[in-house]
Amino acid sequence: MIERLVIVDGVRTPFCRAGTEFASLSADELGRVAVASLLARTDLDPHLVDEVIFGCVGQPAETSNIARVISLRAGIPERVPAVTVHRNCASGLEALTQAHQRMCAGLGSVFIVGGVENMSRSPLHFSFRAAEKFQKLARAKTLFAKVSAWAQFRPSDFSPRSALQLALTDPVCGLNMGQTAELLARDFNITRSEQDTFALESHKRALAAHQKLAEEICPVYVNGRAVIADNGPRTESELDRISKLNPVFDRAHGTVTAGNSSQLTDGAVALLVMSESRAAKLGFKPMGILTGYAHAGCEPARMGLGPVYAIARAETATGLALAQADLVEINEAFAAQVLAVVAAAQSPEFARKQLHRDTTVGGISLEKLNVNGGAIALGHPVGASGARLVLTSLLELRRRNGHRALVALCVGGGQGSAAWLERNK
Amino acid sequence: MKTESLKTSAHESSVAVETSHIRRHFMPDRICVLTFDRIGSSANVFDRATLMELDRHIDFVERVPNLRGLVLVSGKKSIFIAGADLHAVSRMDTEELRGFAVLGQRVFSRIANLSLTTVAAIHGAAMGGGAELALACDRRVMSDDSATRIGWPETSLGILPAWGGCTRLPVIVGLAKALELIVSGKSVSALAAKEMGLADAVIPIGCLIETALEQIWLGSPEKRFQGWNNYVASTFLRTVYNHRLSNQRRHYPALGQAVDVTTRGVSLPVSESLKAEQVAIEKLFSTDTSKNLIHHFLQQERAKKRSGPESCVISNVAVVGAGVMGAGIAHWLAGRGVHVQLQDVRAEQLGRGMESIQKLFQDGIRRGKTNATEMRNALDRITPVQGDVPLRHMDLVIEAATERMELKCALFRSLVARSGPRTMLATNTSALSVTRIAEAAGAPERIVGLHFFNPVHRMQLVEIVAGRRTDPELVRRMVSFAQQIGKLPVVVSDSPGFVVNRILMPYLMEAAHLFESGAAVGDIDAAMCDFGMPMGPMRLMDEIGLDVAADVARTLTRAFGDRLGSPAILSRMLDQGLLGCKSSAGFYLHDGRNAKPNPEPARWLADHSATRFSRAELQQRMGLVMLNEAARCWEERVAIAPEQIDFAMVAGTGFAPFRGGPLRCIDTFGAARIVECLTDMVASRAGLRFAPCVLLQELAESGAKIFSKPGGKK
Repeated sequence: MIERLVIVDGVRTPFCRAGTEFASLSADELGRVAVASLLARTDLDPHLVDEVIFGCVGQPAETSNIARVISLRAGIPERVPAVTVHRNCASGLEALTQAHQRMCAGLGSVFIVGGVENMSRSPLHFSFRAAEKFQKLARAKTLFAKVSAWAQFRPSDFSPRSALQLALTDPVCGLNMGQTAELLARDFNITRSEQDTFALESHKRALAAHQKLAEEICPVYVNGRAVIADNGPRTESELDRISKLNPVFDRAHGTVTAGNSSQLTDGAVALLVMSESRAAKLGFKPMGILTGYAHAGCEPARMGLGPVYAIARAETATGLALAQADLVEINEAFAAQVLAVVAAAQSPEFARKQLHRDTTVGGISLEKLNVNGGAIALGHPVGASGARLVLTSLLELRRRNGHRALVALCVGGGQGSAAWLERNK
Repeated sequence: MKTESLKTSAHESSVAVETSHIRRHFMPDRICVLTFDRIGSSANVFDRATLMELDRHIDFVERVPNLRGLVLVSGKKSIFIAGADLHAVSRMDTEELRGFAVLGQRVFSRIANLSLTTVAAIHGAAMGGGAELALACDRRVMSDDSATRIGWPETSLGILPAWGGCTRLPVIVGLAKALELIVSGKSVSALAAKEMGLADAVIPIGCLIETALEQIWLGSPEKRFQGWNNYVASTFLRTVYNHRLSNQRRHYPALGQAVDVTTRGVSLPVSESLKAEQVAIEKLFSTDTSKNLIHHFLQQERAKKRSGPESCVISNVAVVGAGVMGAGIAHWLAGRGVHVQLQDVRAEQLGRGMESIQKLFQDGIRRGKTNATEMRNALDRITPVQGDVPLRHMDLVIEAATERMELKCALFRSLVARSGPRTMLATNTSALSVTRIAEAAGAPERIVGLHFFNPVHRMQLVEIVAGRRTDPELVRRMVSFAQQIGKLPVVVSDSPGFVVNRILMPYLMEAAHLFESGAAVGDIDAAMCDFGMPMGPMRLMDEIGLDVAADVARTLTRAFGDRLGSPAILSRMLDQGLLGCKSSAGFYLHDGRNAKPNPEPARWLADHSATRFSRAELQQRMGLVMLNEAARCWEERVAIAPEQIDFAMVAGTGFAPFRGGPLRCIDTFGAARIVECLTDMVASRAGLRFAPCVLLQELAESGAKIFSKPGGKK
């Protein structure tokens, strides 16, 4: 019998809007805090760790293989390897599923997995043309050569390109992520007010869950201050303004605004996962079990529907139907996108044409969906979100005495990831 | 033919010097290498025998014809030559000392006068005599290892570099640099040595000998012109230094002597300058100052020497409480490679603690003690944790919470429950009973006192307090731990205030009493600085914090009754929020680095400054209460040896090191005289706190001394 992978414990930093509390911290620092807090909380002997696997989407140039930097800085012994994984928005979940695959392959039984992103520090790039000119300048030896190298520069060479913008644009279909959401809104006739209502609900749920979320958060100390809570959820008074915001991606006819999209956020999540037998041997009582999972591909221009494909695939793998989930977490990249997923999941036509099956994937009740708010309120540090969904849903299962949770994310580039979790009883 | 004879003699000698501390062998191209490798020791030092042996090697080198060069190198891992054997020195009488000084100078001069090229290949510390040997060579090459340092610490031992150091150093680096090195006593790295012309090459350890051999072919270096080495400039420097050292010269005559000999030496012939070194060191050896300073140095070395096996390294420590002490301890440990979990119940306190730790590291960077990478790595070793977490994998837990008995007892009950069976538990209490805390926690053998002093990064002493039922093995482990982290441990028994606070408090309270009776803040501090304390008592109270001082005083009063008689002025100042440095006002007004006496407290006292005290009177009152309490500590055997009490006071409070410590002072002044003074004070001031203790009275009657032999080992 194949061993099951259990999630022993997890912790995350607060999620803070880009450019706020964590703007002064590097991504590896956030990851270090999460891993060090996890080690302190679980009292795990770091020598027992077989590998550290971290997801990160916009990996800072100065910390290539950021997982290794985090691992060493957090005091994990040097001989323990570390790898950074990248499946865009599902990178944090990818870290978990890779741990499972390694365990199955006999490559270890104790892993620290998670995800990290500091979107405040996303860099600006020079264009390649400008870079070429800089190189020429660097190679110029004589004064004349230097002057003529300088003379080749044009003002446009100095206008930088935002790495964040570049990352959020699909190079294959040429659409920005927000534009893919606009596409879904049109496909499924999702109105602006439906999106805003969904966004409002996300904020309300996150605000109401303040105490619950505190359980998964470790403080981060920045310049003598303890940052102890997420700062994404807006207060009631601010929420009035959501309906007044202008569309960002299609200014004339669009419905997707900054208010009904996920926020740019800094944060890190770390999970301690083990094979079930190893956890038992070490005397840990795990939070939950990874029952099964699937990653699936879809049309890049409609990447937001990825979760439906992944959930369908996960059903094939595990035999678990949507209805069996006590909790569903679908990452809120955009309100339009989540609502499109809900619509597609119960559309017989979608099932037939896209999934090639006779039955729909199933209905998703809003009562079960993102019960403590989602990325619209809490923010979406892209590399970390997948791991947060796992942590948040397992803790909520425990609170509700529930059995199973389904977490899913859409993935830029046209993919979806879904994982079934169950509570360890 | 000649090669033949050389080989034979080399062979002969290697037989003859088999049991020696210096090995001799030959390299191709007729170069002789002397390897200093003291038998049965990890360090090379010069004692009489080694000097004689070196002398014989030079006899040999002089006899070998056509020898091209001589290389001096050490066979030790991280020490070139640590200087004179101070243990041997501390046992010599004046006549032997003179002979020893003359011998060293003669041997080194012979090396300096050799016609062949001599090169010192330095890896590891070259200190004092070792550094002077390097100066006697024509050239010096140094390894770029961080252990490689060169310096002349003699003046801090109350003597001066008299084996040619004062004479030869200015010739090589110039008088200005030479004075800086000799007066400060600080050692410099290989790179710094290269920069000032002291080292001719700095290379990786692997190329040391090779480079030394290359240097031989370069011959003697050309004499560099040194702008300061003339009569006018040296007179100027002498005046500057004498002025700068005017405060210290009285207590540390070596400083003045060193400046004098060095500055005058540059305009004298070498032989006369060497003669002056001789005369100066003879004079210095005849004082108690050098004996006390050397004795303290040896004590310090003994305290540093790792007693436990190297494998017993403590690498995971939880520090409970992120206040000033907790943060200070965490900072120190993390800087020494220990992983620290800094715990507190309040997140804000942890935030402040982490900030102060960061500031300490940044200060360290500014003072060149650390760099940004080391700081980052050290900060990474600290994990702030809010609330209770399991401590099963911790090697050691250090509690640094608020000084309240009930709180500590409850905390230790929780620590015992949370920690693993092998986790050692320590309290950083400064005055509370370790035994009581340990009993209350229900695991008395597992709990020990580990008393760091504030500020942790500056105070080297750590009092290790054995509770009544503390496991002796645990005490040993703590001594080894203190050594591991570069602190100086002193084991004390569990009595209120242990050693340092107990002796310090009566002194501080007496200072406050004097202030109450009309002495000016400035006068009180000046008197004690004059006595040789690094800082006056009023200033010290401001530094410690009046609240902390009053708190410790209260604990001691509870234990010892009215002996301290805590002065009313203190509680009044506390009421007014005058806490010392932390509130920018105490006995002084603190404004950044400046401090001027605070007129406020004096105003409260009716006709303050009506009574005038002479400096001697002030010194006597404050000094004698300290000596009296120190004697009581020894009487009660709070430490296992009187040296330990003296050592704790010098290392922990900066008690005038040239006086050797309070107990040594008793011997120096004479117990009879002290008892007489104290008795007078009891009579005239009606202050029972002056009553001489039993030990002092006994000593006064019998005329015995606390230390059997001054300066020597017990």
